[in-house]
Amino acid sequence: MIELKNIVKTYKRGAEIVYALKDINLKIEKGDFIAITGPSGSGKTTLLYIIGCLDKPSSGVMKFNDKDIGKMSEADLVKIRREKIGFIFQHFYLLPGLNVLENITLPLIFGRKTRSKEEIISLIESVGLKDRIYHRINQLSGGEMQRVAIARAIVSNPEILLADEPTGNLDTENSEKIFELLRLLNKKGLSVVMVTHNTELAKRTNKVITLRDGKIFY
Amino acid sequence: MIFLKLAFKNLLRHKIRSFLTVLGISASISVLFSIISFNKGFESSLQKELYRTGIHFMIVPSGCPHEVASLVLHGAVTPNFLNIEVFQKIKEFDEIEFIAPILITQIPNIEKEKIDLVYGIEMSNIKQIKPQWKIDGTIPFSDDSILLGYDVAEHYSIKKGDILTYENKRFTVSGIVQKTSSQDDAFVYMPLKALQDIIKKPNGATAIGVKVKDVDKLNTVIEEISLKIPGIQIVTMSQVVNSLANLAGSAKILSLSIALVAILISAIGVMNSILMAIFERTEEIGLMRAIGASKFDIFRIIIKETVLLTLTGGLIGLIMSLVGANIIEGFVRNFMPYIPSGKMIQFDPFLALICLFFSIFLGIFAGIFPAWRATKINPIKAIRG
Repeated sequence: MIELKNIVKTYKRGAEIVYALKDINLKIEKGDFIAITGPSGSGKTTLLYIIGCLDKPSSGVMKFNDKDIGKMSEADLVKIRREKIGFIFQHFYLLPGLNVLENITLPLIFGRKTRSKEEIISLIESVGLKDRIYHRINQLSGGEMQRVAIARAIVSNPEILLADEPTGNLDTENSEKIFELLRLLNKKGLSVVMVTHNTELAKRTNKVITLRDGKIFY
Repeated sequence: MIFLKLAFKNLLRHKIRSFLTVLGISASISVLFSIISFNKGFESSLQKELYRTGIHFMIVPSGCPHEVASLVLHGAVTPNFLNIEVFQKIKEFDEIEFIAPILITQIPNIEKEKIDLVYGIEMSNIKQIKPQWKIDGTIPFSDDSILLGYDVAEHYSIKKGDILTYENKRFTVSGIVQKTSSQDDAFVYMPLKALQDIIKKPNGATAIGVKVKDVDKLNTVIEEISLKIPGIQIVTMSQVVNSLANLAGSAKILSLSIALVAILISAIGVMNSILMAIFERTEEIGLMRAIGASKFDIFRIIIKETVLLTLTGGLIGLIMSLVGANIIEGFVRNFMPYIPSGKMIQFDPFLALICLFFSIFLGIFAGIFPAWRATKINPIKAIRG
């Protein structure tokens, strides 16, 4: 599904060139549940954003369903993000002006797609927010906000869910619930790639990738 | 629809900032609407009022004809008088239906220790010259009766039936002209003969209003009069209208320029307000890009915000100008040399619609730069903070 070959990502810091990722080779197959771990600054989030077509590598090849994203236009990348990829973030990034339902349906609006109200309500129920459909974002707990973010990420039926520290802002109980929700989605066939510092959660995924100084350590 | 709701909610996040921005737009749209309405109302009321008098032209002493005509209409005192013979000679023209000599002068009012502006006219001509007047009482029926303008009556606290004395001659107030909100309110209207006697100018007149029998022969009559009577000038009502309209037009250009500068400043205010909002919402915009919003989607959301601001401002501005029409009109009347009676600022739905479209255009114009800046936000940098 996704293949990364010799991926290098560099940044300029003044005259200095900083290597965020060095020679990354990775394959993500349909149904994988992968955890990316490593210390801060090791390149985990950079790798996640390249997988998510938010960023392009400085060199190397990344293929999404056998198509080289390096050769794609910005519009093509937007289309892939809309249709194939779901994102969740540590800080949830929900829009405070909209209610739960509106936040969840936002990707459908950007993608000019429709889903029946029953389907959306069923999705909201599946993430445990049945009683919160019309609540405003500031009326939700942290765990509930992350559930909204998950529902938003999967509303367009993506092929892969990318989670950047999804439990980083949650307590142990909520972290466990969110992780179980991700595992449930994975069991239903959705590929999940999760960046985490939580080694206990990482061990419960199918595959753990540890980065150190921009390289896959093991 | 959800973009519109999002735009609306975004504006509500900073209520005071949005309110002040809307206020700026409201004020400038209100000024714009009032100026255009006033000018349209002025021109049409002026034409109606002047043509309604039934006078086709005015004969005035030599000098600047437009100045004299304006002074006569305005109500000021002119230094020159028409010669007695002029009056007699004009009467001799067959094509003339009626002539209305007008004598305007100042007379001291000893009792009140003031100098009054007195307008002498044959009272039988009053209805012809001032058809729009409403009078509490009657038009003077004898040479010892007078009519008062509204402001004079108010100022002196005079009622119908009271007595005023000029040069030892007593005049009974037979009626008071209802408020016209024009210069007419400031006059004492006296029978022409009585005024000529007081100032010792028998047959003297400041101007003579003339109506011809056949309007198609107007130019011929004017030519003939000009040839046969020396020392006079003839000003047609069309020339007076044009002269006053040109004057108003110059004032309009000046005030429109000021309004446009105000609009430009308020548009910059909108731009600034939205730019600040974009900087504050960098993460949100980055997130929207990450979950599939195209640059055009972001552009649309920002433009909707600016249009919402300016359209709301436009609507409030229109309401403000309608509610405050009397205040604006009263203010402008103090500065115009001649203002016809009646309401100058009237609600014109077509003009209101144009102002609203202009508000939308202003929103788009003010939104382009902030919206473009928003599309340049890098989602990765935004999300990573």
